[in-house]
Amino acid sequence: MANRASALDTMPVSPLAQQTRGCLSVVAGATLVFLYLPIVFLVLFSIEPADTPGFPITGITLHWYEKMLADSAIHSALFNSVVVAVVVALIATTIGTMAAFPLVRGGIRFPGAARILFTLPIMIPGVLIGLGLLVFITLLGIKLGLHTVIAGHLVFTTPFVVLIVAARLQGFDRRLEWAAADLGASNRQTLRHIVLPLIAPAIIAGALLSVTLSIDEFVVTFFTIGPQLTLPLYIITQIKFGVTPEVNALATVILVVTLTVFGVGSVLLGTGRRFRRKDAA
Amino acid sequence: MTADTASAADVAPLAGPRPGLRRRLERAAPFLPGLAMLTLLFVIPMFIMLAFSFWKTNSSFDLVRDWNLNNYARFFNQPTYIRTFAKTLVMASAVTAAGLAISLPFTYFLVRYVSRRFQRAVLLAVIVPFWTSYLLRVYAWQAILGEKGALNQFLMATGIIQQPSTLFVYNDLAVFVVLIYVYFPFAALALYAALEKFDFTQLNAAQDLGARPDQAFRHILLPQIRTGIITACIFVFIPILGEFLTPTLVGGASGSLIANLIVNFTRQGQFPEGAALAIVIAVFVTILLVVFRRSLRVEDVVARG
Repeated sequence: MANRASALDTMPVSPLAQQTRGCLSVVAGATLVFLYLPIVFLVLFSIEPADTPGFPITGITLHWYEKMLADSAIHSALFNSVVVAVVVALIATTIGTMAAFPLVRGGIRFPGAARILFTLPIMIPGVLIGLGLLVFITLLGIKLGLHTVIAGHLVFTTPFVVLIVAARLQGFDRRLEWAAADLGASNRQTLRHIVLPLIAPAIIAGALLSVTLSIDEFVVTFFTIGPQLTLPLYIITQIKFGVTPEVNALATVILVVTLTVFGVGSVLLGTGRRFRRKDAA
Repeated sequence: MTADTASAADVAPLAGPRPGLRRRLERAAPFLPGLAMLTLLFVIPMFIMLAFSFWKTNSSFDLVRDWNLNNYARFFNQPTYIRTFAKTLVMASAVTAAGLAISLPFTYFLVRYVSRRFQRAVLLAVIVPFWTSYLLRVYAWQAILGEKGALNQFLMATGIIQQPSTLFVYNDLAVFVVLIYVYFPFAALALYAALEKFDFTQLNAAQDLGARPDQAFRHILLPQIRTGIITACIFVFIPILGEFLTPTLVGGASGSLIANLIVNFTRQGQFPEGAALAIVIAVFVTILLVVFRRSLRVEDVVARG
């Protein structure tokens, strides 16, 4: 990249280039502020003592966090969310990883159609997925509950796992497998000892992503849940009663947890990249 | 590694003659659970929703499988529905345009003027809100736009207004701003992926050959990042067609979009009516995806860990 920069310096540039660059940096800075300001305020209002969050900030308290921790409605909502997320992650990661292999390496009859099928749930608004499932469930006469939420979450988390694992498989150096086969390993042994360990970071990242997507999902859950509550649904019922600092405290905790999981996931994906076939890029 | 050794190693050990069908089945087998899941939980429900949209509910809200087009006729005959749908399209277009207008200069600056290492950090800063809860990101705006929110406090502190204003929230403008906020990361990621591949010295070359900066931008840069722009548009426009949470939280009574109507129907147990509206949205989404399928780069936006 050093080359490109120095080439730029010596080339004729518009007399306005300097000003353009200045303007752009202001726009970029403002954009970042725009991205983070709401989150900053969200967190700020969770440590504000007043009953209705807002300015001016009158002090710092952890009262709302204590209240949140003691709230049994939050406990059961959290429990439901975690149960759903774990089951969804396990199933989505398993079937998503499996599906990624034939998608990348061939063997299915209509690869184009398969690819479309696995990207559609990412592109289609959650309202359609949710309502579709709801009418289907109603027609079958199945009772709504956490199991139907799990079904709904599987639809949009599995494609993410497929995409992530497929991206890693795409860059996978197949000569490693051929070497293993040359040395007498069976297909199963190659998969177990060569392929899976090397794409493990992508699989784990996919699982973590499924967890965060599932825990945060509101729209599909909204359509497919029975009498129970998950965290986002609990939050929306609270917001409808009026903005409470307890929700801000809960939101802050969810943000921190999501970011941690996300951070672990991206570090893993970064590690995964090291095993990519260099000359294939 | 030299090219010679690479090509030698590229020859796979022969698997031996295998009957085609068995081998094909073996290779396709891992795909089947995923396929079965999506067929059962996604494809079939979509077709059932289509069927529902041609049925009706009677006065006691029981489903009647009486094939008719009334739900659609009602949609096209009721001015409120058409108006809400038109408004949704206008809102989606406006947010898409605004999202592009913000993310293009942003990503342009990022790719062209920010060092490689720092680029990653900034990009991560853009992705992070994208992976945090959508509900919470919308909710956070009440802290800014609400009556006791930051905007009111700021305007009062600077003496521009005396009383906290309720004008900032519960209207279309609030929905517009929050939707830009929610979908900006999609647009930025799509454009970044396209700009990253662009060689900026081409712009200098164009100007060297006498093009004005705006000409160079229009004729050299824009055509080359076309797929990025289209991907960005699709990733912003389509989800807004199904938006109901943002209008619910910051749109107030007047801010409803088409998906709010679907939710209202569903709440009242009027599935056929809701399904008809959902199918209208689905048709739009499908047309967009089919028309732009060659330019859509889903991986650029979602598989960037």
